[in-house]
Amino acid sequence: MISDLTQRISHLKYLKFYLISTLFGLLALLPLLIRGPFYSHILVMIFLHAAAAASWNLIGGYAGQLSLGHAAFYGIGAYTSTLLFVQWGISPWLGMLAGGGVAALVAGLVSFPCFKLRGPFFTLATIAFGEVVRILAIYFRELTRGAIGITIPFRPGIENLMFHGKMAYCYFALVTMMTVFFVSFLIERSRFGYYLVALRGDEDAAQALGVNTTMCKLMAMMLSAFFTAICGTFAAQYVLFIEPISEFSIDRSILFALISIIGGIGTAAGPIIGSFILTPLQEFLRAWLGGQYQGLHIFIYGCILIAVVMLLPEGVIIWMRAIGRRIVPPIRSRG
Amino acid sequence: MVDLMTIGQIALNGLLLGGIYALISIGLTIIFGVIRVINFAHGEFLMLSMYASFWLFQILGIDPYLSILIIIPIFFIAGWLTQRAFIQPILKGPALMQIFITVGISLAMMNGALFLWKADYRSVTPSYAAITFKMGNFLIGLPRLVAFLSSIVIVLILYLFLKKTHLGRAIRAVAQDREAALLMGINMRRIYLIAFGIGTACVGVAGPLLLPIYPVFPTVGTYFVLIAFVVVVLGGMGNMTGAFIGGLIIGLIEAFSGFFITPQLQSLVYFVIFILLLLLKPSGLMGVVGAEEIGMK
Amino acid sequence: MLFQAKKVTKRFGGLTALKEVDLEIERGEIIGLIGPNGAGKTTLFNVISGFYSPTEGNIQFEGRDVTGLKAYQTCRLGIARTFQIVKPFGNMTVLQNVMVGTFCRLRSAKVVRKEAFEILDLVGLSGKENELARSLTLPDRKRLELAKALATKPKFLLLDEVHAGLNPIEISQVLNILRRIRDEWGVTLLVIEHLMTVIMNLSERIVVLSYGEKIAEGTPEEISNDQKVIEAYLGEEDGE
Repeated sequence: MISDLTQRISHLKYLKFYLISTLFGLLALLPLLIRGPFYSHILVMIFLHAAAAASWNLIGGYAGQLSLGHAAFYGIGAYTSTLLFVQWGISPWLGMLAGGGVAALVAGLVSFPCFKLRGPFFTLATIAFGEVVRILAIYFRELTRGAIGITIPFRPGIENLMFHGKMAYCYFALVTMMTVFFVSFLIERSRFGYYLVALRGDEDAAQALGVNTTMCKLMAMMLSAFFTAICGTFAAQYVLFIEPISEFSIDRSILFALISIIGGIGTAAGPIIGSFILTPLQEFLRAWLGGQYQGLHIFIYGCILIAVVMLLPEGVIIWMRAIGRRIVPPIRSRG
Repeated sequence: MVDLMTIGQIALNGLLLGGIYALISIGLTIIFGVIRVINFAHGEFLMLSMYASFWLFQILGIDPYLSILIIIPIFFIAGWLTQRAFIQPILKGPALMQIFITVGISLAMMNGALFLWKADYRSVTPSYAAITFKMGNFLIGLPRLVAFLSSIVIVLILYLFLKKTHLGRAIRAVAQDREAALLMGINMRRIYLIAFGIGTACVGVAGPLLLPIYPVFPTVGTYFVLIAFVVVVLGGMGNMTGAFIGGLIIGLIEAFSGFFITPQLQSLVYFVIFILLLLLKPSGLMGVVGAEEIGMK
Repeated sequence: MLFQAKKVTKRFGGLTALKEVDLEIERGEIIGLIGPNGAGKTTLFNVISGFYSPTEGNIQFEGRDVTGLKAYQTCRLGIARTFQIVKPFGNMTVLQNVMVGTFCRLRSAKVVRKEAFEILDLVGLSGKENELARSLTLPDRKRLELAKALATKPKFLLLDEVHAGLNPIEISQVLNILRRIRDEWGVTLLVIEHLMTVIMNLSERIVVLSYGEKIAEGTPEEISNDQKVIEAYLGEEDGE
């Protein structure tokens, strides 16, 4: 009967819980185990990219609305907190929230009329949006210092979100990543999450079941923009230099999507897996090939993307799940 | 103030360039109209055809205009193969994946070019590049004139092909009503292959025509494909005549905005037009094939 | 009076798909909706459920004006529908599909899950909870389509050719389910069907559309003898 089945499910849940806790425990130890500025730097970037990709995943993966303009929110986060800090000495902690708020607001206003566009047309609109933000950021020089960029003065201290050495940055990046992970995890199991996945599957059918698809998309978009902006703030505090061309670049937007797709689009852990695969690749290539590597790592990304789409569209996480299933016994259905 | 003569000259330049935009866009609109796929890699094919023409000139001394004869069949085949190898297998799947695969191809091509040939701007200067004609009080550069006239010729050839030949009619049938075409026994796969081939060949012709006018560099495709997207949405997705007229209109807009607006904001004009079109009149000037895909009920 | 449509007209550009259609339905009735292909039956469903707004006319549900409400709003008020070409959420399991419907009325995922199991039991999909919806056979897809709509606990259920493609045994199974939900849950049914024996058997009253207009209404007996109805179907092959 039903109670038998639910008992099995809850056993399974406990087992899964312990397994995943162990994995995360290991993750938490990584910043301590990995030493040396180069490797620590890679770890920071892995966590940061994972967090940003996971933020993208909320709207791009779960809701299936492919945005290729998310760098706009990343940049808005970076610029808001940086300008507040550099001009008025406001702590990046507050700046982070302010940036998230601005990004969410912009996301809501701009995306709302675009939701009637389906599929690739929505994507095209997001590309256009991302580019508009980039051009405006360069143009409004008085506000953003234009293409020259802004350097953030190094004043270490937790209130300024700046530290000596990389380990603290590692942990903060890790915490950010885990936050977005947990948000995704919770959403997945909630009514909101089911609604998002449903509207991705078939929007008309979802509406027929009482789903206000426009409102759902809007919430997902605003949430996604909020977290993406926070990642932007963090990145600014780490690199201590921002300029419009790289903060708002479409390459960055594509990277967020890429990481999620390769790892497993629409899953909580996918972006993390994807980042562990792609980020070290980029950083190592940069180190080994120096200036000559220009273009090579993205070329490889492109090839990986093509391979994933054709062979493993649900992402690498499918392999992980298969391995996981060997370890954990499968549920037997009733009857 | 600006006098009538200058305005006329700007308009003329705009129209001439518009011919090429039309040619690039027609390729894109055919691919969408027939296969219902948005080829995000379209601009990269243009970039590759420009490089092809460049290297043919550098190494073998072949004039860009002559290289068109070599490039057309090569790019037709390239389009055919791309459709066969990458697009066809995932046509049945979610549209998400179709977007990503062409994005992947775009990334690979653009950065492959970047890696192999570096970011330097390359251009050719054949002997005739500087020749200008005088028509009344207006100046017309030879390369632009040739580009414009060639575009018209190609568009006419395509038009006749689609209207008069059996194969052309089959292609139009698929674009209009896929189910009916299937029921009529048309071989959809073959039509898709040919359509992608034609679309890519169009962009292949545009490359050598552009080379005497514009330099080539790895990201040149993104600039032109953006224009192509605006043209295609303006003219109506899948609509060839619309793409042609749209191309001319965008050429005019570009010429005028280049003159009156600071260069930094010039691209902004396209993006804004693009977004406005998508939101307010996604069917463009001439109506649209595949309205459901855009989100019109 | 549960449901009332008054002079509902729907035009698409130059084409008039529905012309001044009147319809009154009492709570607990089973009404059949028939008519030759292209008569406007599915269009009427789309208008009632909110996917289209009527060009003219008025729709009342439980005494409340629902004209022009969107699909998700009518669902929440208690009007559910199935689609002629079934629309499962292919990327979700059978259970998850039904849960989306159940979430319309309940919040907690745990409770929703339990309710969804019971709906699956009702339509005969027990044992298939964890199968991906896109891997189901047609009869099971039809069952799933029905289950999703039922999960929203509708008061008024619009069924668009739920029997198409099923064999006689499967058809009678579905008929039993429909009768059960009317008898036990008090759901009012409006059923589009091409299979004449099914519709004559199931419906208490039948409405006939042709070219967007209501041409007849009455008991199955009256309808099968109605001259206008026979003419409308002349040249058409009826099912069974």
